[in-house]
Amino acid sequence: MEGNGEISDTDSGIILHSGSDSPTTHTKDVTTHTRAMKVKHQDLRDRLEICILELKKLCIREAELTGRLSEDYPLLPGEKPPQIRRRIGAAFKLDEQNIPQGAEDSQLSLVDAELALQMKIYEAARKLCEEEQLSKAVRRSRLQQCKREEKKLKQLQETSFQLRLEHGRSSPLPAFNITQQDLGTSDDSSLSDSVVQDEEVTSQSSQPSSGLPYPVETDPPQPAPASSHSSVDGSYMSPSVAKQSLQLNLPQSPLTSLDSKLSSDSSPLYDLPPIQHSPWTESSLDQPYQKSKKSRSSSKTSSPAKTELLPPLETCLAQAGLPVQLSHLRLSRTQSNSTPSTPEMRVHRQLSLRLSSESSFDKDRGRTRGPRRRLTEYAITLPQTPLPPVNLGHHANSEDSNSEHSFTSYNSSPCQESPGDLPKYQCAFPTSSPVSGYGPPAFSPSGFYHNPRHMSSPSIQNTYYNKEMVYPADRDMSPSYYPQQAPCSPNRYEYWYKDTAVPHQRAQRPLPPDVRLTPSAQWDHPQYRSNCLPRQVVNEQLKSWHRRSQLKAPRSRSLDRQGAVRMKNTSARESPCYPNQKYHDQLIQRAALQRAAEDVQGHWVADDGTHYISQV
Amino acid sequence: ETLVKLVSQQRIEIQKLRQGNNLILGFSIGGGIDQDPGQNPFSEDKTDKGIYVTRITPGGPADVAGLMMGDKIMQVNGWDMTMVTHDKARKRLTKKNEDVVRLLVTRKSLEEAVKQSMGGFPRP
Repeated sequence: MEGNGEISDTDSGIILHSGSDSPTTHTKDVTTHTRAMKVKHQDLRDRLEICILELKKLCIREAELTGRLSEDYPLLPGEKPPQIRRRIGAAFKLDEQNIPQGAEDSQLSLVDAELALQMKIYEAARKLCEEEQLSKAVRRSRLQQCKREEKKLKQLQETSFQLRLEHGRSSPLPAFNITQQDLGTSDDSSLSDSVVQDEEVTSQSSQPSSGLPYPVETDPPQPAPASSHSSVDGSYMSPSVAKQSLQLNLPQSPLTSLDSKLSSDSSPLYDLPPIQHSPWTESSLDQPYQKSKKSRSSSKTSSPAKTELLPPLETCLAQAGLPVQLSHLRLSRTQSNSTPSTPEMRVHRQLSLRLSSESSFDKDRGRTRGPRRRLTEYAITLPQTPLPPVNLGHHANSEDSNSEHSFTSYNSSPCQESPGDLPKYQCAFPTSSPVSGYGPPAFSPSGFYHNPRHMSSPSIQNTYYNKEMVYPADRDMSPSYYPQQAPCSPNRYEYWYKDTAVPHQRAQRPLPPDVRLTPSAQWDHPQYRSNCLPRQVVNEQLKSWHRRSQLKAPRSRSLDRQGAVRMKNTSARESPCYPNQKYHDQLIQRAALQRAAEDVQGHWVADDGTHYISQV
Repeated sequence: ETLVKLVSQQRIEIQKLRQGNNLILGFSIGGGIDQDPGQNPFSEDKTDKGIYVTRITPGGPADVAGLMMGDKIMQVNGWDMTMVTHDKARKRLTKKNEDVVRLLVTRKSLEEAVKQSMGGFPRP
């Protein structure tokens, strides 16, 4: 029986009241509830409608751009998909970056802007041409339009390119960027290639020294090259390239390409872009890194580390005198011991990786065989000789001056070799021909080591020319001139120098003595320290050195100067106090090594620094 | 009308897998400053000379770590990879004394682009 108690049944929503009004309340609640639901329902429907409309519009836009309607298009039952109009015009957007902004040169920027626009126009015209189902007339007219646009494009590109050339080395770059922009995405590779080639050709012909469009690419704002390198760059390579390589960590950067360039002996480096564009290759990272690839990212054992440094050094050869990482590695080619070194020293990268030979070479040194030693010493002609093509003349020259510095210093610490040595020399020489090229040795001053021994044999002629063994038969002088060798990677190679230290005999020696010193700390100076040269000889040598240095481009490497100063001081001295001389030389050597080490460390530290900064 | 190109940056940590004497990563790369960028099928900008992931070995270390084909590698263990030669890139990734490489990659994220453009689309 119903009482006053209320029984509420939440499920049914019926509250049993004893009151009389319970049914109405209940109904009201239901109604309210329903109404609320209805309102919500309607709201949702409206929103859905709006969303569908948005989707439709988007689909249409998409279809206009892509040319086809996506399946997402919401279709009511019975509704037909809308007709779409392909809007070519909206298919691209001019990238801001390609439009030079705030350019100092308004003319250039104008041209650039036009160029960017024209590219798009051309692209659009091309796409129009490719549209299917064109009637003949339409197709013909479109083709003509396309050709017109293409011509305009090329003209603009030429203009901009020329403008850029006038404005600096980095000019070819932006043109390339614009050229290649969007062209490669579709099937325009042929066009972009041809355009690129055009640019390249033009650049090469018009400005050989800066014919390096690509390498400069990524860093248009080229920071001023380290001042120490500026002089080096001048003749050697496009400064922009040099800058770029300087910018980048040395191990990185256009080493590979430079390597390949270096190996192609003949052409002067500055005529070709240092970075070759190879076909886009893909390499699996599951394969062990091959040594033949010049560098191996292996552990920090000495040899891999050395090999890693190789390419950079080779690059350095090209750049003559970049203070690449100096490793106390000396790459020397031990033609050494046994076989008489062949006249031609082919420097191959792989060969120069002969660290082991180097070590064996070192061992040899200590050993007795006099002639042998000389042999090896000479043999170390620095593989580099062949390395950098002759055009490294400048740098080599500058290198030479360095060496000469050192040489003179050593000169004063003469090697008074006993006559007995001479004959040895004589036999030694023939074998060591490869030693000296007359090429400019591009070695860093840090690696000086003078072998006085060489100095003495008067009867030995040492005229070495690049890759040639020239023994001027008439030259009875022994002075070891190693005319500059082809510049080799400065830091890494040892240069042997036969010194014209002819103590007693000749005071003549017009030949400029080039002394190459190898930074071999292991070598005993004492071994090579003989006596001092007579002052006359020293003076002669100094004069000749001066003459030579004047011929060469001045090297503004800081290392050089320091070394030079030291050398001068040393050489100015009279007969050497043997111990003093030795000390000095050792000092120099050590300093050189230290510098090398510092360079290396600095280099790596810099890398590490970035490493830390960028790591999260 | 503007087309929005979105890229997302991902940090991928790959644990190299030792196979015999080699440490493998399970992907291939392409690109480099010494390569022709026009032939890069993954890059949007055909002058981009960066290093791109061209292939992923299914189930390999890179796949497991979430690397995807088409990713552009920006850094490896903190070393920049945007301006390196192809060989240098390989070297940096295949160092024998490193078991783990942490990559910073950018990935074109089309979905994100669409979502964003729709969300902000005030069409009535």
